[in-house]
Amino acid sequence: MSLEDIRVVVDAGESSPYRADALSGNAPVLLHELAEHVRQLVAAGESTAIDLNALPLTPADLDWLKATLGEGEISVTLHSDGESTLAETACPGIWWVNHHNEQGHVVSRFIEVAFVPELVKAHPEDVKTGLEHLESLIFDLS
Amino acid sequence: MQGPLIDTLARQGVTRRTFFKYCATLASLMALPPSAGRAMAEAMAAAPAASRRPSVIWLPFQECTGCTESITRSHSPSIEGLIFDAISLDYQETLMAAAGHQAEEALHNAMKENEGKYLLIVDGSVPLGLDGAYSCIAGKTNLESLKEAAKGAAAIVAMGSCAAFGGIPKANPNPTGAVAVSDIIKDKPIINIPGCPPIPVVITGVLAHFLTFGSLPELDKLGRPKAFYGETIHDRCYRRPFYDQGKFAKTFDDEGARKGWCLFELGCKGPVTYNACATVKWNGGTSWPVESGHGCLGCSEPDFWDGGGFYRALSMPADPLKMAATAAAVGAAAGVAITFANRAKKSSAKAAHETVTLADLEK
Ligand code: SF4
Ligand code: SF4
Repeated sequence: MSLEDIRVVVDAGESSPYRADALSGNAPVLLHELAEHVRQLVAAGESTAIDLNALPLTPADLDWLKATLGEGEISVTLHSDGESTLAETACPGIWWVNHHNEQGHVVSRFIEVAFVPELVKAHPEDVKTGLEHLESLIFDLS
Repeated sequence: MQGPLIDTLARQGVTRRTFFKYCATLASLMALPPSAGRAMAEAMAAAPAASRRPSVIWLPFQECTGCTESITRSHSPSIEGLIFDAISLDYQETLMAAAGHQAEEALHNAMKENEGKYLLIVDGSVPLGLDGAYSCIAGKTNLESLKEAAKGAAAIVAMGSCAAFGGIPKANPNPTGAVAVSDIIKDKPIINIPGCPPIPVVITGVLAHFLTFGSLPELDKLGRPKAFYGETIHDRCYRRPFYDQGKFAKTFDDEGARKGWCLFELGCKGPVTYNACATVKWNGGTSWPVESGHGCLGCSEPDFWDGGGFYRALSMPADPLKMAATAAAVGAAAGVAITFANRAKKSSAKAAHETVTLADLEK
């Protein structure tokens, strides 16, 4: 007998609280908080982030929030130690940020309110290194 | 974000963005605000060059090396290793290349040069029986070594349930007279990181906090960092709704077990165990004991080994009604300000908790 012969059944069932439609009612409140942060961004250029894992949100709440904020024009994928996606929502200035690990699991999740998320910008030191590389490419040509 | 550490990392192929992403996630796990992620990244990246990195001395006493295993086998060693690049680990028997007299010399040099400043990590309990003869290193009893190393330490981290609470060596009848670090050292800040073994990110999180803010994180009454030990397994368990509905698996292969019902009646100690397994999980977030179908053993609580049997249900009443009251409180708080709902949930959950200790199990 091998391990595969042992039947493993997971039955979420009718009454399972993990059904997709289990909304906690916490998500709509978050929209008000976001609006306040966007006002700050416009008025003072201040960016903020909300840690979604720190809030009592169900998977259904997150789906609702994501669907409600909608999809914007731009999304950025970062390939480093697992994929990260930074996608602007239909409300410019509000970004949905998911960090995955190498196994593809979400390790942290944020909503960032910013003109451009910090992570997207190139660091001046990296730009300098890039410039050196470019110069060496040009040097090789001559 | 600039500094020797970031340069070292760059050479290892770890980019600034990877590092920042790691710090953001670490801050999230530690329940710190997102801005703390950036602060950590800045502080750690600016960690000074090798000669001036904070010195860490790690002493193993009566232990099984499980704690070291837990940390060194964390799923992304290059990243968890980052934290270790920001410190100078001057003595760690299992990891260091030096042995014998060389190792002893390294230890004493580190203690002398960094007097009053080094962080002392201890894993394992300290045996007091037979004048400490049960466990000796380099001809010295653990008791002597601990006292000597603690003298010049800025703070002590008691790693794992043995160092924090005495752990398995202290289990009844405690043949070696094992005690915890805090039973011996009374005049230094001690931070307990219990667990058998502790979750890797908890130790790196505490180190990151020490490096970033130069202080130890906020502790609970058992000396554990609140960020990770602030809530019980039961508070964050995904099977909790079944507990609230009174749906319990009665054996490991019945219908309830298959449906993923609550493991309370199979001896789960989740309701009295403060640890982060339910949220952080194990093996790089793959799963954790309750998700694998086994109740929590209570490994991060004092005397978990003598709790009257891993498969014996807690004597506290399974009281779904009380839990319903907690849920209502959460609902009310959510209406006010969601950001604070989380905190409110913590305190209301705590208030609703009966103080049931593992000792109650014997009743
Ligand atoms: S008793 Fe155990 S399995 Fe049941 S909800 Fe609590 S922690 Fe989860
Ligand atoms: S689930 Fe319980 S026994 Fe298992 S590691 Fe976590 S705290 Fe320890």
